[in-house]
Amino acid sequence: MSERPTPDELTEAIEEFLANEILPTLDDHRLRFRTLVALNALGIVRRELAKLPAEDDAEQRELAARIREGDVPAGTLARVKADVAARLRIDSPRYLDRY
Amino acid sequence: MNARTRSRFSATAAMIADMREALEAVLGPISEPVLLPGGASKEAWAVDAGGERLLVRRAGGGVIHRHTLSLRHEFDVLEAAYEAGVKVPRPIAYLEDVDGREAFVMERLEGETIGRRIVREPVANALPLQMAEELAKIHALPPERLPFLEAATIERLVDELDEVGEPHPAIELGLWWLREQRPPDREPVVVHGDFRIGNLVVDESGLVGVLDWEFAHLDDPARDLSFSLVRAWRFGADDLRLGGIGDAEPYLERYNELTGFDVRPDELDYWELAGNVGWAIGCLTQAQRHLRGQDRSVELAILGRLGAEVEYEICHLLEAQGVT
Repeated sequence: MSERPTPDELTEAIEEFLANEILPTLDDHRLRFRTLVALNALGIVRRELAKLPAEDDAEQRELAARIREGDVPAGTLARVKADVAARLRIDSPRYLDRY
Repeated sequence: MNARTRSRFSATAAMIADMREALEAVLGPISEPVLLPGGASKEAWAVDAGGERLLVRRAGGGVIHRHTLSLRHEFDVLEAAYEAGVKVPRPIAYLEDVDGREAFVMERLEGETIGRRIVREPVANALPLQMAEELAKIHALPPERLPFLEAATIERLVDELDEVGEPHPAIELGLWWLREQRPPDREPVVVHGDFRIGNLVVDESGLVGVLDWEFAHLDDPARDLSFSLVRAWRFGADDLRLGGIGDAEPYLERYNELTGFDVRPDELDYWELAGNVGWAIGCLTQAQRHLRGQDRSVELAILGRLGAEVEYEICHLLEAQGVT
């Protein structure tokens, strides 16, 4: 299953937020320094992430295409819901408690 | 690091001076414009002029979302709504060029707009019925007065999803069910298009004003009526189906009483699901604005992941409809 933003893209977004929106507002030297250190740390995370193989979304693509064609046998929803729940356990785990 | 990025709404002194000049040409002397927080694609500036509290709504720097009105047209809709007695901020002036971007000026209403705060505080008992009353007035606006408004279709949602280009089986299931179960068409009316808690100004007496008209279009009135039911717009108060503030039944009843449209509860269910499908796709297209570099923002980026919440709700609603 592949989702966007990918982990690398999310990390990049945080990096830009810190560099472009937070850093320019900081006057405190210690905080400026630590923010630069945090940016370096995010750079390490991104280079680690770059070594991972890209996720394969062929199965999800095939399933999406079948549903688009109107091919929706019994049990399709249960499978799709389980896939979404698995994504939520990464993306927003507490959301599942609301059901 | 990405070189094309910079602070999203960087307000320089020169820009504020230019804005001030453009505004004073129309309004006379004004107070120092203050940029208000929030607003994903538009800027909001508070200014005072002639003893009045005003709000300047100005185009943002990013690329305009498809199917949203220009500020010129949004101002026209606001004027039409105001003249028809809809509770809206009084429109004051449209300005073609405020430091290079279009803008308009309207009254700055006092009250709460933050959804999360509204659902946490006790709200006026009258609010659900007031929402129905405003919708009834909006849906009676004469379409010929606003000839630029376009009709929306379910197919448009499919196009938007295809433009994103990612596989999302839960959204596909929602679209499939919407195609299969479509109720008979109603005569399209002028709709607000984003009528929900979060776009309403509320105070202790209830509804003060309806904001954010950029998604106005022609559509089935039941679709507009159901948008407030979408779980994401209950702001955590999930048990209260109407925007986290009330039950849907009295609201529907009041709306039907005023319009004579006789919208059925199963139409609310249908369009509630459509609202969720629309917002699930909306999350993806917002994330695309970031990913394509049109509007770099961590806030837009994470919507690409939070859309999974909306997809789960789609599955939940489909289950309730007996899909397996």
